[in-house]
Amino acid sequence: MNTPVTMITDCHRPSHKMKRLTHEEKRGLKRTALKLRRNIVRMIKAGKSGHAGGALSIADILAVLYFKVMSVDPSNPGWEDRDRLVLSAGHKCLGLYAALAEKGFFEKSVLDTYGALNSRLPGHPDMYKLPGVECNTGALGHGLSISGGMALGLRLSGKQSRVFTIMGDGELAEGSNWEGAAAASHHKLENLLVFIDRNGLQICGPTAEIMNYEPLDQRWASFGWSVRVINGHDLDMIYENATDIPFEPGKPSVIIADTVKAKGLSFAEGVLKYHYWKATPEELSEAERDLDAIERTLLP
Amino acid sequence: MTQKNDPIATFGEALLEVAEENPDVVALSADSSSGSGLKFIAQRFPNRHFEFGIMEQGVIGYAAGLATTGKIPFVAAIAPFVTARPFEMVRNDLGYMRQNVKLVGRSAGITYSDLGATHQSLDDIAIVRTIPGFTVVNPGDPEDIAQATHAIAQHRGPVYMKIGKYPMPYLHGADYRFELGKAALLRQGSDVTLIGTGTVLCRAVEAAELLARKGIEARVLDMHTIKPLDTEAVLAAASETGRIVTVEEHYIAGGLGGAVAEFMAENLPTPMKRIGINDCFASNGPYEDLIGLYGLLGPQIAESVEGFLQSSASALSR
Repeated sequence: MNTPVTMITDCHRPSHKMKRLTHEEKRGLKRTALKLRRNIVRMIKAGKSGHAGGALSIADILAVLYFKVMSVDPSNPGWEDRDRLVLSAGHKCLGLYAALAEKGFFEKSVLDTYGALNSRLPGHPDMYKLPGVECNTGALGHGLSISGGMALGLRLSGKQSRVFTIMGDGELAEGSNWEGAAAASHHKLENLLVFIDRNGLQICGPTAEIMNYEPLDQRWASFGWSVRVINGHDLDMIYENATDIPFEPGKPSVIIADTVKAKGLSFAEGVLKYHYWKATPEELSEAERDLDAIERTLLP
Repeated sequence: MTQKNDPIATFGEALLEVAEENPDVVALSADSSSGSGLKFIAQRFPNRHFEFGIMEQGVIGYAAGLATTGKIPFVAAIAPFVTARPFEMVRNDLGYMRQNVKLVGRSAGITYSDLGATHQSLDDIAIVRTIPGFTVVNPGDPEDIAQATHAIAQHRGPVYMKIGKYPMPYLHGADYRFELGKAALLRQGSDVTLIGTGTVLCRAVEAAELLARKGIEARVLDMHTIKPLDTEAVLAAASETGRIVTVEEHYIAGGLGGAVAEFMAENLPTPMKRIGINDCFASNGPYEDLIGLYGLLGPQIAESVEGFLQSSASALSR
């Protein structure tokens, strides 16, 4: 591809003044991200299996968005002026449920119903079962166009609200995404920020081997998006860039977030089979030991 | 039945009226504005008309997203390209998400007669009516189209409305009031009921007139809403006339005939004939010729009905 990419760096820090996290805020967010990971493991324990890998790889992004970036009100989930989060990769919903529970959209005891008959936590999210869910995703390649419509509608209504969309890297093989991407650029949706959770693995193997859509930065740039590439577990990077949209006037923004699948569980990180984790009691104990170890590093 | 009107322009003009009444109404085009009647709203409200190009999956998602913010999107394009092509988006983003989006499939049925099977739509009712919560409308004359456009805008929930391409005769009287989900009686009769819908409703009316000359009094219902089906009108027709014939420019599997048969089989089994297109990709050619090829001309329908009445009478007397 020959399209020039205007804003790509490994570790992007534009020269203009960006919002920064204080040390205290950062430590708070680390604790929050840990709580999300604990909530994810709690649901896996209840349901005995689930899409853990991607939920864990986006936990840091979700922690920053829900606890530091987005305007949402758990006591008024339908608040018209709220920011929206669309989880296009709906199978990562354990991450979304974890964040919504931690934020107070519903009682944490609901997490223990994962996998049960008529649970409010289906294997892919249902906006009519759980407050805070914006969109019924699951079939891949839907969330971006829906997000674009939300962004367009909010702009049309004169709202300042923003739309945050999380997509998987494997999901990008769905052609409908590129329809959504073209239209977001064509309609100049400045209030739309997409995160690509580039954890590099999908069910059958490494994403680059299954269907290679690299170089992602150039592809998105060629579709008219302003692109940044970050470490998706670096809370500063997530915060500084998520609060800096639009990256360029008149363009939608995309962050390609390099992440580790199943981040936080030492035995599972980057291991394919934890895309969908069928948890043994031993693994669950080990997961708790891993998360306890992280917690010890966060003590004052 | 003499004055005829263009269905697409009729829809477009009605949509403009709807947009003038309700500022939340927006129109989405998939490079389909000029052919789908959206030019009126585009000219009057350019900021409420959005072009998406030939993007028939993406545009449904955009419509769903717009609807979550309180807008009432109308998406209009060639019928198969808002139904079969983006079916999963229609099912999930509009149906499962219960979004207030109005899909309008134009040049439906075999009215794109010369362009062949890719552009014809004989399965749209069948597939969309499987989606929980969807309303499916197939207006039978220009007055149906105009009033249905207002009615579906006022109805809260996803709707699919199909319209044809060629001028349609006015079938309803001046005082006609379209009601979503309620069949309209076009002709009283006690020997048989013809339930017609959409582009070929006028052929059913013509058939009933021909049958009357032979002493057969056919009731004619305009079943402009396929889902929810007016089961009350179907039950009354079955019990009062004893024979049902459905007439549609659609596959007889899954369309109006399918919907009526499903209902009657379980509620009041009644001798029935479904007139429509049977399990083939339709051919191409001049529209009237194509309609004739599939037995949907008025005289052909009359003949089919007569044969059906004779065969069902002898079957019952055995």
